[in-house]
Amino acid sequence: MARIELSGIQKRWGAAWGVRDVNIDIADEEFVVFLGPSGCGKTTTMRMIAGLEDPTEGDVRMDGQLMNDIDARDRDVAMVFQGYALYPNMTVYENIRFPLRMRGVPKEQHDDMVRRAAAMAELSDYLDRKPAALSGGQRQRAALARAIVREPQVFLMDEPLSNLDAKLRQAMRVQIKHIQRELKITTVYVTHDQIEAMTLADRIVIMQSGLIQQIGTPDEIYNNPANTFVAGFIGAPPMNLISGSLSGGTFTAEGVSVSGLRTDLSGRVTLGIRPEDCSLSETDAHLTGLVYGVEPTGDITYLTMKTGDKLFEVKAGRDFRAALDTPMSVAFDPDRICLFDFETGERLG
Amino acid sequence: MASVRRSRGESHFTRYLILGAWAFFCLAPVLWFLSIGLRPRVEIITPQPIYWPTFSLDAWHMIWEDWPMAKYLRNSVLAIIGSVLIDLVLAIPAAYSLSRYQYRGRDDIGFYILSTRMMAPAIVAIPIFFLFRNFGLLDTIWALMLIYAAINLSVVTWIIRSYMLDIPKELEDAARTDGASDLRILWEIIIPAILPGIITASVIAMIFAINEFLFTLLIASTPNAYTMSVALANFTGGSDGVIYNAIALVAFLAFLPVFLVVVAIQKHLSRGLTMGAVKG
Ligand SMILES: Nc1ncnc2c1ncn2[C@@H]1O[C@H](COP(=O)(O)OP(=O)(O)OP(=O)(O)O)[C@@H](O)[C@H]1O
Ligand SMILES: [Mg+2]
Repeated sequence: MARIELSGIQKRWGAAWGVRDVNIDIADEEFVVFLGPSGCGKTTTMRMIAGLEDPTEGDVRMDGQLMNDIDARDRDVAMVFQGYALYPNMTVYENIRFPLRMRGVPKEQHDDMVRRAAAMAELSDYLDRKPAALSGGQRQRAALARAIVREPQVFLMDEPLSNLDAKLRQAMRVQIKHIQRELKITTVYVTHDQIEAMTLADRIVIMQSGLIQQIGTPDEIYNNPANTFVAGFIGAPPMNLISGSLSGGTFTAEGVSVSGLRTDLSGRVTLGIRPEDCSLSETDAHLTGLVYGVEPTGDITYLTMKTGDKLFEVKAGRDFRAALDTPMSVAFDPDRICLFDFETGERLG
Repeated sequence: MASVRRSRGESHFTRYLILGAWAFFCLAPVLWFLSIGLRPRVEIITPQPIYWPTFSLDAWHMIWEDWPMAKYLRNSVLAIIGSVLIDLVLAIPAAYSLSRYQYRGRDDIGFYILSTRMMAPAIVAIPIFFLFRNFGLLDTIWALMLIYAAINLSVVTWIIRSYMLDIPKELEDAARTDGASDLRILWEIIIPAILPGIITASVIAMIFAINEFLFTLLIASTPNAYTMSVALANFTGGSDGVIYNAIALVAFLAFLPVFLVVVAIQKHLSRGLTMGAVKG
């Protein structure tokens, strides 16, 4: 129900940087996920969208209207806070109802709305409790229920599922996606969990040290990382990055030799290849090394190899087993190889 | 096992013995007062020690029948309650501002408020006397309310502020995004969350107010505005000499309600006092 534009956003506290330069145009009804290491400015960006923090520089617009001077209470957003921020003196029921009271929703609708939100968050049995008498996961669900109880212009969710067990997290993820699709509410979502990001997002925003590294659909981010940071951040295990030199279309590094690459470039480069785009092979080997570790997980087996002093990850078949220090050869899928500038880490071509 | 348990029992016993002795040491003067208040006047001023005291309600009858003690009591209660209410109305917004907003000179204002507590009261006694005379407030409980409120405002503000500092800012942010106004946030989120602090601050203000003597004496010149603490002074002069048993009884009566309140809320009180001290 609202388009959000952030242009040239900066946030400083004295000499401390929260956000250095953020530009993004979030479409109406879009689900955008912010992903990045701790301290990269995700919460700060979100708080500026909510109006809880004034940007030092730059503009926040909603539906084209400049919001910089509009108070948080007059921006129709609902937020799940990283620290839950439940009102300690109120029961869960009253907590969930609070936004309805403040926003002037007619009284007779409150009970239905509160109970529906609580049911979605699987909290129906805890409505009479005070937050202090809830577990961490229950508190988090109460915070989520308080946000989804009404239909705001924008949902802001700061790691809303971080404290739940895997099963509940999966269930809530589906719930959140469903609610968002059904109500068609623009949503900005912060997480550390890549699976969450991949499954929920229309677009993912990767941030680092207050800067956006890449914005793209989950597929774009995964298949075409814009730089080595994104490549090394996304995926579990992340993309293998090997630094070496390129000349005449052939990349070489210790234990690695890949030919048939582009010939218009030469010099120091970083080659990236995802663990699942490698296969164990006796012929056409691009990389040779010794088995360093084997980790069966059930459906696949993670193989770690050592070439020179570098480690290299390969996703092998579920039945793959090998003794340590066995020599192995690996072939790369030539279509999946990414090349990055050695100095800047930017994707080449 | 058995020996371990016994030694723990013994250490408990020792601990209670020490605590009991300390409690007795602290409470002995109070009991002494009570015993003086409940004995005939002659017995108190005899030079020989008395081993078996006589019980008497002489002083009790005297303070209620010969003296307008009920009126003094009423004055004390009204002045104290009024002053605490004034303090809360002023201190809660002040503490909110001091704990939440960033502005130039905030800490100086905070310190200034506290520093009013460091001044010797006698310095302002004369100006205050003239001030109240000009307002025609001498000898009224309104003046007492204002004075007590002024004396306690700094402490009340400071204690409430320290409780407010403990409230995570995210809580207010949440309320704001939920659509609450500043006043709503104060009323529905902050005040309920710091209720123990408000109670603590109120009790501490009450204790200071009930013991206040100097300014009360300055302002009150007739029983119109006499309080319990000033009433005590009435028993020391005049043709009757010092009436010890009445003094003791009134002192005990002034002590008792405060004592009971403090016992009832002692858990909060110690937190309030240490927090005010450490964080302030
Ligand atoms: N009030 C503040 N004063 C000074 N620096 C701040 C303040 N708030 C945040 N920062 C700094 O801004 C940077 C970004 O913080 P932010 O909370 O946005 O990180 P984040 O990406 O949400 O991290 P996390 O994943 O750990 O929640 C951090 O380096 C942080 O120390
Ligand atoms: Mg954060």
